[in-house]
Amino acid sequence: MNVLIIEDERSLSHEIEIYLTKQGFHCDVAFTGSKASEMVAVNSYDFVLLDIGLPDTNGFEILKEAKNNNVDSAFIVLTARSETDDKIHGLDLGADDYLAKPFSLPELHARMQAILRRKHGLKVQTIDINGFVMDYQNRTLHYDGTPVVLTKKEFDLLHYLAMHKNRVLSRSQLTEHIWGDVMDDDYDSNYIDVHVKNLRKKLAAHSPIDWFETVRGIGYRLNIQ
Amino acid sequence: MKLKLKLAIYNALSKALVLLAFGALMPFLVERVVYNHIDHRLKARTAKVLRIIEKGGLNDIVRESDCTFESYNILKEEFILIEPLSGMIDIKPTIIANEQWDIDGEKLNHRIIRQPFIYDNQIYSLQIGEGIDSLDKLKATITKVALWATILTVLISIFVDIGYVQLLLRPLNNIVENKLKGTKDPVHFNDAPVKTSTTEFKSLDESLTALMKRIKDAFLNEKEFITNVSHELQTPISILKSRFENMLMDDNLTDEVADKIEDSIRKLNRMSKVIRSLLMISRIDNEQFLRNESVNIKSLLEEIAEEMQERLGSKNLKLYVHHLDEFTFHKANKDLLYTLFNNIINNAIKYNVENGKIEIGSSFRNNKYVVEIKDSGVGIAKENIPYVFDRFKKFKKTTESSYGLGLAIVKTISDYHRINITVESEEHKGTVFSIEFPDEYHS
Repeated sequence: MNVLIIEDERSLSHEIEIYLTKQGFHCDVAFTGSKASEMVAVNSYDFVLLDIGLPDTNGFEILKEAKNNNVDSAFIVLTARSETDDKIHGLDLGADDYLAKPFSLPELHARMQAILRRKHGLKVQTIDINGFVMDYQNRTLHYDGTPVVLTKKEFDLLHYLAMHKNRVLSRSQLTEHIWGDVMDDDYDSNYIDVHVKNLRKKLAAHSPIDWFETVRGIGYRLNIQ
Repeated sequence: MKLKLKLAIYNALSKALVLLAFGALMPFLVERVVYNHIDHRLKARTAKVLRIIEKGGLNDIVRESDCTFESYNILKEEFILIEPLSGMIDIKPTIIANEQWDIDGEKLNHRIIRQPFIYDNQIYSLQIGEGIDSLDKLKATITKVALWATILTVLISIFVDIGYVQLLLRPLNNIVENKLKGTKDPVHFNDAPVKTSTTEFKSLDESLTALMKRIKDAFLNEKEFITNVSHELQTPISILKSRFENMLMDDNLTDEVADKIEDSIRKLNRMSKVIRSLLMISRIDNEQFLRNESVNIKSLLEEIAEEMQERLGSKNLKLYVHHLDEFTFHKANKDLLYTLFNNIINNAIKYNVENGKIEIGSSFRNNKYVVEIKDSGVGIAKENIPYVFDRFKKFKKTTESSYGLGLAIVKTISDYHRINITVESEEHKGTVFSIEFPDEYHS
């Protein structure tokens, strides 16, 4: 999977590059709009991560240009500007998703996965979580053919953890994914613990879940072979 | 009172004063003028009579018997009298006086000139009189005519004044009506120059436009500033957050370091949220949110209550939604109203006690729809109640660091929608927020 990161803030594009490379993506980086247009025209990318506030070009111009040239990349708009109009405008121009800075890297990854599923209609619609079968298309979970009934938030939580298997997801990352912007500025990460507790109880009723690890002080991790 | 009316009243009063003064002086003036004329005539006649006597002698004129001469015209308006003065009488100089004369049994007012002269060693007195009874009539007539003329002039001038003043003040009216009234924010100020030849109005208009332009620039700058602040602050936060997240992925981290990194991420998130909240407040203040939706408050509250359910577990709270009356609020922004209720209920959860409860209800008070959100939480100290909606206000006597902007946003949103919010609270018992909707935008 090829990703083009268009971001003039070098430290940020570097961090995104490190993260996505670890997730198995191949990353190119462009710091200016002109360089970005050139690269979009020459190479084919699965994803273009586009910062709107570029020094030389308005990010929307690159998006427009790419869409006119029938470039088949998925665009995710990144912006630190406060205008919600940016979001609407970006989506109107055909962007696939939108993330406001500061965003969480696992969240970016999850959004990319969601776009992949949507765009390409991946054949594998299920994840195996140590015997639990998660069908994220139909939002169901089964163990050994028996359905496990989860709430929406519990399902999202398990899915997010499964997507980043063998990696710790911190409480703040989980909170951000589950509640987004709605939470207050000094939200209580205990909310997550409550959900995890309930989720574990439901899973443990079917099978031991020592693979569902609490990483002390930070968050949770699913250890999946 | 309008300036136009004030000027008209001043004009009318000052003219009436002039009119009164003129009316009072008029009879005297007329009298003076008439006496002047008569006196002049009397003197001329005296001189003429004296010349005749000098030429032709006195004997031809006077009667033999008593050496006197009397002559009246038919209407007894004029007479000439010459009589010798007997004895040693001092020759008095010419005297003019008003006297009442009895002529043939008729008492008539006359203006009389007395002129002594010497003829043939004898002193005579020449008296010439002119009737002045007609003068009073003349006086009255002239006064009347003059009065009417003045009244007419004043009336005409008042009307002309009002018209002229109105014309004169039209630019000022234009400035007030078209520029000041109905200009709610400087961006919509009408900066087309007002047509006027009056220097003061011109400079007023120019100063006003210049001032408004400065405010408008400041306003737009502020808007751009807000966007830039957001960019300038969120970008470094974003860099740090990503860097910390990458660090957190290192499997060799000690628990202590990992814990510190996670805590740093949380601090960054808090910082970012505060910036976002401040920007939100500022954007509401700048009216950058549209108010063009009709919101069913009942469904909105039920929707929020539903979403809140899952967060009650952490403190084992109970949320009761009592009977809610149907109410649709027009000219609203649904997202903002969502935030308003969400923040209040969020506070009710945050400041609640273990096993506490939250109640949501509605009622009509004085025809106004009121939503009440009541919690059994820690409450707010009496001295702090006036400050709960203030931005960054630190509460007295509490350990709460109170950096939350949740209620400041609530206040900004409610002001923007003209919703009236009141708080009642008792420490260790709980808090009630009453959200009273204006009665103008509902159905």
